[in-house]
Amino acid sequence: MTNLSAVTVEAPRGRAGWRSMLPRWSPKLGVGLGLIGVITFIGVIGPLLVGDPNTIRDLGLTGPGGEFWLGTTQTGQDIVAQLAHATRGSLYIGLLVGVMATALSALFGIVGSYIGGYVDEGFSLFSNVMLVIPGLPLVIVISAFVPADQRGSWTIAVVLAITGWAASARVLRAQTLSLRNRDYVAAAKVSGEKPWRVITVEILPNLLPLLASQFVFSVIYAILSEAGLSFLGLGASNSSTLGTMLYYAQNGFALQRDAWWWFVPPGLIIALFGCGLALVNFSIDEIINPKLRDIPRRDKAEAERAPAPVKRTDDDVVLTVNDLSVVYQVEKPVHAVKDVSLTLRRGEILGLAGESGCGKTTLAYAVNRLHRPPAEVTTGSVTFHDREGGDIDVLALTPGELRAFRWSKLSMVFQGAMNALNPVITIRAQLDDVLTTHRPEMTKAQRKAKCEEVLKLVGVDVRRLSSFPHELSGGMRQRVMIAMALLLDPQVMIMDEPTTALDVVVQRGILREILRLRDEIGFAVLFITHDLPLLLELADRIAVMKEGEVVEYATAQDMFEQPAHPYTRQLLDSFPSLTGERGSFVRSGEEMTPVKRSGEPTSPGGVR
Amino acid sequence: MRYYARKFAFYLVALWAALTLNFFIPRLMPGNPVDILMAKLAQRGGTVDPSARRAYELLLGTNSGESLIQQYFAYLGNMFRGDLGISVSSFPTPVSQIIAEALPWTLMLVGIATFLSFAFGIVLGTFVGWRRGTWLDSLVPATTVLAAVPYFWLALILVAVLSSALGWFPLQGGYDVVLWPGWNAEFIGSAIYYGTLPALTIVISSVGGWLLGMRNMMVSATAEDYVLTAKAKGLRDSRIMIKYAARNAVLPSVAGFAISLGFVVAGSIITEQVFSYPGIGSKLLQAVQNNDYALMQGIFLVITVAVLGANLVVDLLYAVIDPRTRVSG
Repeated sequence: MTNLSAVTVEAPRGRAGWRSMLPRWSPKLGVGLGLIGVITFIGVIGPLLVGDPNTIRDLGLTGPGGEFWLGTTQTGQDIVAQLAHATRGSLYIGLLVGVMATALSALFGIVGSYIGGYVDEGFSLFSNVMLVIPGLPLVIVISAFVPADQRGSWTIAVVLAITGWAASARVLRAQTLSLRNRDYVAAAKVSGEKPWRVITVEILPNLLPLLASQFVFSVIYAILSEAGLSFLGLGASNSSTLGTMLYYAQNGFALQRDAWWWFVPPGLIIALFGCGLALVNFSIDEIINPKLRDIPRRDKAEAERAPAPVKRTDDDVVLTVNDLSVVYQVEKPVHAVKDVSLTLRRGEILGLAGESGCGKTTLAYAVNRLHRPPAEVTTGSVTFHDREGGDIDVLALTPGELRAFRWSKLSMVFQGAMNALNPVITIRAQLDDVLTTHRPEMTKAQRKAKCEEVLKLVGVDVRRLSSFPHELSGGMRQRVMIAMALLLDPQVMIMDEPTTALDVVVQRGILREILRLRDEIGFAVLFITHDLPLLLELADRIAVMKEGEVVEYATAQDMFEQPAHPYTRQLLDSFPSLTGERGSFVRSGEEMTPVKRSGEPTSPGGVR
Repeated sequence: MRYYARKFAFYLVALWAALTLNFFIPRLMPGNPVDILMAKLAQRGGTVDPSARRAYELLLGTNSGESLIQQYFAYLGNMFRGDLGISVSSFPTPVSQIIAEALPWTLMLVGIATFLSFAFGIVLGTFVGWRRGTWLDSLVPATTVLAAVPYFWLALILVAVLSSALGWFPLQGGYDVVLWPGWNAEFIGSAIYYGTLPALTIVISSVGGWLLGMRNMMVSATAEDYVLTAKAKGLRDSRIMIKYAARNAVLPSVAGFAISLGFVVAGSIITEQVFSYPGIGSKLLQAVQNNDYALMQGIFLVITVAVLGANLVVDLLYAVIDPRTRVSG
């Protein structure tokens, strides 16, 4: 039973798991490991190669050179010998504190949050209290009560560990809480694994990068704090560390006597070691949060596009996409959109369907040039045929022209309105800044009237203007997004899965609203979804995308009656039929089913 | 409302924990601090009246038969009356008076320096994160070097270069000693002049941490949907950067600001030692060197209360800038 579950549970994450936990090689990591290696070498091997650091000679404060590479102290001790021993002392304390503090934070952070309930509340409260009680003053007070002759490396290390674990515990707790609810952990629990086994086998491996990062952080903290304590005269009394070395240098007035070779090297070793650890920590952070990875610098030159913008053929067309290709320029370039050509007529709803990852969103973003590096438009053109006459080559707009073009000619409604609205400013502010940017001549009262007008259009109470996004339901947020898209009376609206995250009833309401607004106002819609049956009801024409290519492009009527491409049929079949009859996948849209579908097949775009 | 209640309750618990810690530390440590203290006092010719001895015993522990619980409540009573005992190193000044004189110096120096450092770090981090993939990225490793340098080492070298060698700043102290402290332009000018280099060292050594934190959050925030929406809306880049990306990215930094205050206070103790600054950190060290336990305990408590208070203020401020905290609590 146990064996079985371990196998089934570990399978999905096993392969990718361990590899993804190793830092990716980068110059930063190389320099960091190099610094750590050299300094550890000095600390571990160094003391065996140098003489006694305490030998007093009659050569006080000799400068570097000759027999003593780095000169001597006030009492003629060899700086190099002292450095080697002091580095060892500091590394020792750093390691001790690192291990102890990480263990404490793991205990309070991981175990507490795994057990949950009162234990977690208690541990969490304890960590938070330890976190807000200032550490160094506490260390000073504790050190002061310990008589100097009993104050060894261990005492200092214990005190530093006790005052230094709390921040890590908080980080680990947050991470454990999120891991605890993952499926494979739940599976292990259900199969009757003992708690300690779940923690060590299922949870700990996933926390390793975080633990490593917290360990590195504690080591830096310990070495720096120990140096600070020693500088204050409260350091370990019977051992030599870089901190005590600096203390003696300071009390021997090294800097005042220009004996920089005594004062500078110990600090430099601490700085370089800390720097090395911090660089390694960067690489670990990039495992935890891949967004932080360096992106290569690139030159601005856009690739040349072969076809020129398309002249308008007939006044009915508002947007022409011609032979557009978008490539993600990563190590192995990914062709996300391949030679796609589409035309959007005024007032029509053009559906774009396909499974996730087929490039439909990439295409939609490229039309408005919202794709981000490494995505790049390699060929093709996007031409906007303005109502007022004139064709706009969207891909050739300057940044200023592009800003003016966006939203006023072509606006967008994004998927899952959850995050598309800024969570920390009010709805009013988010509607208002569109108007202040694009219509600077409007007065405050006019802007307010306009904002209220669009909200009424989508059926949202105007009092919601002063709400924050989290105070609205998902459906209401999506309506607000649509209201926002209406603000400047655009000719085209791109909707990317606008109803995906909503329940069916709310979805219906919003789709009905879109149809009504389209009929009243007359904008054209590029509607993106994975839900082909939905498009059959809603759209005038449909393009089906697969692996970056448009495989079928036809009127909704034709696609409904005789889907040509096998993939289209596959998409249609993948939605369960509720009654068993063919065609019943078209979820009965009550009054929504447009008139045109029931009788005369209207020509696409001829809705008005 | 629940958010505020929780916060107040938390800081009350933290305060109680600090008081209790303060009570137990001297009792758990080897040696008999009261005797050391009394001997020191007698040495200086101070009169050891029984009530003073009693106050010390409550603070530091005693061998008399009183139970720990009784001592604890008597100690708490003294603390709430603000009776922190009498300093030995500057007998017979009450501890509270010494603290009252030293505290404003530390608050001004550390407060202003920390605020400047935070502000610089946030502004720089915003730009570095926003303009990712440009030369600004190289600022990030540079700041880690600064963060890894022992603070006092850097400060002493700056003093050696800027004060001793170049003579731009005074070597040490909080003001020109020929002046008499008071609220006049000359004295305040002198205090600012003397405070500049200490403040500068604090800013230099701490700005990197803020920069890095803000930069990382900016990188995450610019990948959020609301930033994409803002771009699609055709807003100006500066507006998207400030109102959309930075406005969200700054939230963790503000929360982190509260937590870092403890470290800031720690740093200030060393700052004051380097510059012989007349603040509360110097007094703490003076107390430690003279075994002036009453003063030491008093300062530890005041520092803790100050840090807790500042934390509370930051938490309340956080609720103002993040509307979500107010509901979810």
